[in-house]
Amino acid sequence: MAAGKTIDVTDADFATEVLESDVPVVVDFWAPWCGPCRMAGPVLEKVADEYDGRAKVCKVNIDDERQVATQYGIMSIPTLFVFDDGQLVDQITGITPNFEADLKKKLDAALATK
Amino acid sequence: MAETIHDVIIIGAGPAGLGAGLYTARDRLDTLILEKFMPGGQINNTDRIENYPGFEKIDGPGLIENMHKQVESFGARIQSGADVDRLERLDNGHLAVHTGKDTYVARAVILAPGSSYRKLGVPGEDEFRNAGAGVSYCGTCDAPFFREKAVVSVGGGNTALEETLHLAKYASKVTLIHRRDEFRAEKVLVEELLAKANEPNSNLVIRYDTVATAIEGKGKVQSVKLRNVKTNEGESYPCDGVFIFVGMVPNTDFLKGFVELTDVGFIKCDCAYLRTSVPGVFAAGDCRIGAAMQLVTAVADGVNAAMQLKQYFRDPAWWNMPVSDMLSPGGW
Repeated sequence: MAAGKTIDVTDADFATEVLESDVPVVVDFWAPWCGPCRMAGPVLEKVADEYDGRAKVCKVNIDDERQVATQYGIMSIPTLFVFDDGQLVDQITGITPNFEADLKKKLDAALATK
Repeated sequence: MAETIHDVIIIGAGPAGLGAGLYTARDRLDTLILEKFMPGGQINNTDRIENYPGFEKIDGPGLIENMHKQVESFGARIQSGADVDRLERLDNGHLAVHTGKDTYVARAVILAPGSSYRKLGVPGEDEFRNAGAGVSYCGTCDAPFFREKAVVSVGGGNTALEETLHLAKYASKVTLIHRRDEFRAEKVLVEELLAKANEPNSNLVIRYDTVATAIEGKGKVQSVKLRNVKTNEGESYPCDGVFIFVGMVPNTDFLKGFVELTDVGFIKCDCAYLRTSVPGVFAAGDCRIGAAMQLVTAVADGVNAAMQLKQYFRDPAWWNMPVSDMLSPGGW
């Protein structure tokens, strides 16, 4: 996997990248026309870098990858899912006031079960 | 402790922070702008700005991109993803700004953290929001998920009206709930809203004098409890989504214990020169008492703070001079 960077995931490789991952995965459902989604960008890059090797951060562009977004019933973007061992364990809807801290807390909780 | 001492650190790269940074950078002051996300803030969420003088119509991200480039072209440094969690005034009068892992020091600070959407504060709101199950605070983000569905929007200001009109392009039915019998939004927007609502077979319905008291459903939003504030009559109103636009709250939690805040979190300052309770720390934009919460006034605040900063650098005693002693325009 790309070291310390976010990974663009498609309908086709969602299962291998996310569900079959050995480490916890943050999945960001986003779209280019969504202001808050783009605002979250630098924070997600930072988290991907800080958790390099321990967790990964994947991005699903819902305009292009409709199947996954529909499958998970996305009704708001950005939506961030935390997956661990193929299971959806936690989520954040939208940009919360303490977004970076909130996201890390959820990721740390998933890592603590290892 | 950091070795570089910046002339000014600006916290927040929205319109206020970028307005300030443009002026401090052009004054050749060493300017660092710390931004929690990426430049823009709230204004990134709108694709329709019609009240920024000189621009008939511009989108938020486009305007911010221009401001961002302009500010950087004069030498200001903008750092995105820098979440400031604490500030302190050092013994020598300098100001230390702490993020999770870094500390920056400056001679002055301009606080421009902006504001975030206010919650409605009714049962079901957090539950459905957290589950991503039909509560939203951003029409431009989430309207496409409600194609051919019925939604309720709540509010009466500019944002509420703009977003409601946007939702009406996607949803089969939009019901705007407003607690009063007239809107506080600009008259131009009110006219557009009423024209849309009065079209034959319009999908836009307005309910005045009505408040939402609960959001309900099994697994996802299915209805909203409404109450008419004049007749006190209640009803359960079916819908697939609820969009909430009921004002803004200042992003000032991280400033508690550092500068004086009002009970609801606005930064106290003198509204002429934007000086806070801490010498060398200015407040600009949506975060301060008396803020008009507009793009133009946020920019103006940033510029004002940047201008006043020079008076402080010339004479620190200026900080405590009463506004009434300095009423000649432009200061010195």
